[in-house]
Amino acid sequence: MIDPLAAPLARQRGPLRAAMACAVLAALAAVGLLGVAGWFLAGAALAGLGGPLAVTAFNYLLPSAGIRAAAITRTASRYGERLLGHRAALFALADVRASLFARIAQAALAGNAPLRWGALAARFGRDVDLLEDAAIRRVARLGAITAGLAALALTLPLGWAAVLALAVGLGAMRLAGRALATQRLPALQQDLAQAHAALAADYAEMAGPAVDIAVYGLAPAMTAALAERAAAQAAAQAALARAEAAITAVQALLAALTLAAMALLAQGPAPLLALALLAAMAALEPWAGLAAHDSRAPDVRLAAERIAQAGETQAQPAAPVALLAGVPTLTIAGTTFAPGARVRLDGPSGAGKTRLLETLAGLRGDAPRALAVGGHDPRVLGLAGLRAHLALMPQAAPLIAGTVADNLALARPGIDRAAMARALHLACADDVVATLPDGLDQWLGSDGARLSGGQRRRIALARALLSGRPWLLLDEPSEGLDLLTEARLCRRLGAWLDETGTGLVLVSHRPAMAALADRVVPVL
Amino acid sequence: MSHTPPAPTGPTPTGPARPPALRPPRSLRATAWWLADSAGAIPAALGLAWAVAAQAGNGPMWPAAALLVLGGAARALAVAQARLAGQGLAARFQSGLRQVLWPALLPSRMARGALVGEDAHLAVDTIDRTEGLVARFLPLRGASAAAPLLIALAVAPASWVSAMIMLATLVPFVLGLVLAGGLAARRARAQHAALTRASGLFVDRIAHLPLIVASGAEERVGRQLAGATQDVAHRTMAVLAVAFASNAILEFFAALCVALVAVYCGFALLGLLPFPAPEHLTLARAFYTLALAPEFYLGMRRLAAAYHDKQTGEAALEALDTAMTALPDAPPTVPAPTRLRGQDVVIAYPDGTRIGPLAWDWPGPGLHAVTGATGSGKSSLLLALVGQAPLAQGQILGASGALQPSAFNAAVGWAGQAVALPPGSLRRNLALGGAPTASDAAMHTLLESLGLGTMLARREGLDTTLDHRGSGLSGGERRRVGLARAILSGRPILLLDEPTADLDSASATAVRAVLATLARDRLVIVATHDADLVALAQTRCAVDAVEGGLAA
Repeated sequence: MIDPLAAPLARQRGPLRAAMACAVLAALAAVGLLGVAGWFLAGAALAGLGGPLAVTAFNYLLPSAGIRAAAITRTASRYGERLLGHRAALFALADVRASLFARIAQAALAGNAPLRWGALAARFGRDVDLLEDAAIRRVARLGAITAGLAALALTLPLGWAAVLALAVGLGAMRLAGRALATQRLPALQQDLAQAHAALAADYAEMAGPAVDIAVYGLAPAMTAALAERAAAQAAAQAALARAEAAITAVQALLAALTLAAMALLAQGPAPLLALALLAAMAALEPWAGLAAHDSRAPDVRLAAERIAQAGETQAQPAAPVALLAGVPTLTIAGTTFAPGARVRLDGPSGAGKTRLLETLAGLRGDAPRALAVGGHDPRVLGLAGLRAHLALMPQAAPLIAGTVADNLALARPGIDRAAMARALHLACADDVVATLPDGLDQWLGSDGARLSGGQRRRIALARALLSGRPWLLLDEPSEGLDLLTEARLCRRLGAWLDETGTGLVLVSHRPAMAALADRVVPVL
Repeated sequence: MSHTPPAPTGPTPTGPARPPALRPPRSLRATAWWLADSAGAIPAALGLAWAVAAQAGNGPMWPAAALLVLGGAARALAVAQARLAGQGLAARFQSGLRQVLWPALLPSRMARGALVGEDAHLAVDTIDRTEGLVARFLPLRGASAAAPLLIALAVAPASWVSAMIMLATLVPFVLGLVLAGGLAARRARAQHAALTRASGLFVDRIAHLPLIVASGAEERVGRQLAGATQDVAHRTMAVLAVAFASNAILEFFAALCVALVAVYCGFALLGLLPFPAPEHLTLARAFYTLALAPEFYLGMRRLAAAYHDKQTGEAALEALDTAMTALPDAPPTVPAPTRLRGQDVVIAYPDGTRIGPLAWDWPGPGLHAVTGATGSGKSSLLLALVGQAPLAQGQILGASGALQPSAFNAAVGWAGQAVALPPGSLRRNLALGGAPTASDAAMHTLLESLGLGTMLARREGLDTTLDHRGSGLSGGERRRVGLARAILSGRPILLLDEPTADLDSASATAVRAVLATLARDRLVIVATHDADLVALAQTRCAVDAVEGGLAA
């Protein structure tokens, strides 16, 4: 598997190396601070017992200066470790986000189901966040490993047995941490995720019929019925907490056993034992923290795999199709329409009119009817072949988080503000924008949260008009409009279609809107 | 980006008073276990001191090893128990939250205009996010105040001067933290709006990928996104640079505490203190003191590491509190009105959709129709009567004056588009309307007349087990069960949304007959398309939706 972090982190080589140097320095300072302090105390005590001569012979300036230097170095280098480590990770993941978007966009263009990718947005967001966290932790890991090695080095004067005791202890802690984390945690994490999903799904099912609940006073019964699921989630959470607590406890216990074994097996003067024991104590704390990396590792690995694979499996080379020359004809359910035709799809709700429009526009491929664009099956042409010819305004009228102008500018490159104003006027959205405090530069929250359904629909319509494609596909454009505005919209849209010769495929159950089309295709 | 700067442990403003169920509990047990962990450091430090002294004086080493293992075991147990106690308390707190929130959220969702997904998020995920605050942060906060004192007390018998040195470092530490914490909070506030706006863009752009790709805008959007993600990284670093400074202050004093104790003890042992020795130190005492020095600030370092839990939990409680305060007040219940009139009634949804003005007069028992095209707001009128749609203008009147919507819900038998089926038998579900318990025979007859006979035969009749997932009933069958429940409730007012939709013509005829009979002694209001049903009605109220809002 390709590590999706490798290249972006390589671009952050400078800060990353500096962060790692800081981590190494911080670990050495932390181990050194306690080790030297212990050595100094034991040495001072022995010298003190040895009488004034021994005291004068004891070099106390160097260790006491060393202790102060270690204290300052530990603080400064840990600050550098944190700051530079975050810097490298944050900027590397900024790159990952940008390149992941580009790759998924290519996959959406090449594949047959662009709608699928949109539905995965939240998961990609979480996956990238997980990787960011993991990138930050890489630096801390290096610090813990350095601390362990430094403690081993400082144990050397105590003889091979003590070194072996520490080495075995460090090894045992890693083995135990990894074994528990990889064998027990994934199943428990999955149980919890399932229990959580089941509870959320049940709650959503129960919360649907709110009126029944209010009128018949069913809330206590519903709450009681959900209690079982809630208890299952709590049980899964408790099981996970027990496993995590066990991992921590095992690490603490092994660390204590290691120190005890070192004390029993050490051979050498007391100051050196003091040095080694306190150095080991300082190293074992971050070493035990490595177990926390283990428990996240399975999730991080899955996230990295998903991100590395995103877009790759989907990028099947599209069948080579002659590019559509000029303005294509449309064939819907067997009838072929020349450019500039105005067609309405008519049928009961649930007959699949929206699906037909989306298949025609290349967003999906599952409309069951015979469709063709310029004589070719739209499923073969794909979004890449279709998008220059068709502009779809979906029923949901999606708006990106951004300003009104950002949304309109999506339509094609190089749209000026005058063109935007004209399109907004045509779509009867100019008065909507006029009431917004910042006008065209008004920030619209995610999915145009500030606007009503009808207002969003008119802005989305303005965007479709700006695209300048020869076929306009409109899905319920006037839903949520009052009759007056709808009449105005129909008049302006009709004049614009006359003027530009743009073709129209319309889905609308409203009579005024339906009058824009002169041909009807039944969809049953 | 999810990354939140690890802010300082400094004082935080206390939030406004919250209802008791939303006040996170203090776990004395978890706090006590965290303190037990600090106490476990005492035998471990004794063990270390013994080991060094034994090595210097050729004493036996095994008591030192025993003390080290004893201390380690005690700490392992204490840390594990502290986590479990915290987790247990968090589970009980969350269970209490559910008991309070769910009964309040479930019936008020429509009235608050919340989507099912929003409410499920609030009721499940948001409650879950309080865990870290209750299970970890609060117990650690309790322990972090007491642990330094405990360590100082443990050190005092060996070296009271060292205990005083440790306590003395607390003063500049707290001052530094307050200063850095304030600066960090100001920096975070200054960047907050830009960061929340920009950090959501990645997920937003992927969610809108079909639109972006269909518009051919993927390259332009990709370039903008690359710029925006860099901008987020720059701004986050600006916040972190200050936030890490408060961590550095903590680190500095933790290191300083160790260094000062080591230097003092060393010079005292050498007899080189520049002032008269205030106490007599031995190697064992000095070493015991030094081994405890890192423990003095450990509690606060753990607390700083749990700061993210605090932020997440506080934000979750804030969201729950906002939801609880937004709950509509239930009006005092009134007896069943015998007449229902509407004057100049306008229903206005937050998205700008307005319905009305509407007027009607339903003088008493009888069948009355509400008509209009699909989506015109027929259902909204019925919803407004039971307090589930926002009334912007006008009045609903009973026989003796104005009525508060939802005040007479106990008199209403409701059958709408979505049917709530709490787990239980079909019989129990049909009887949920309360009132006179209908006989099995009456239930059977009604269900047969609603075209549910084949369903009864296919399943186990009235003993069929139902649950909220539908239990194999089709959407139409569920709705007819809802209709049967409303009719069987015996309540004097029936509000029925499309009672004859999805019925074959024979069943529809049967339902119309049932409704006509019921209308002799009950007030039956139907929102319907069905021309035959409208023909039976005594009055007709026509509804058409008008969009208003900003554009009006």
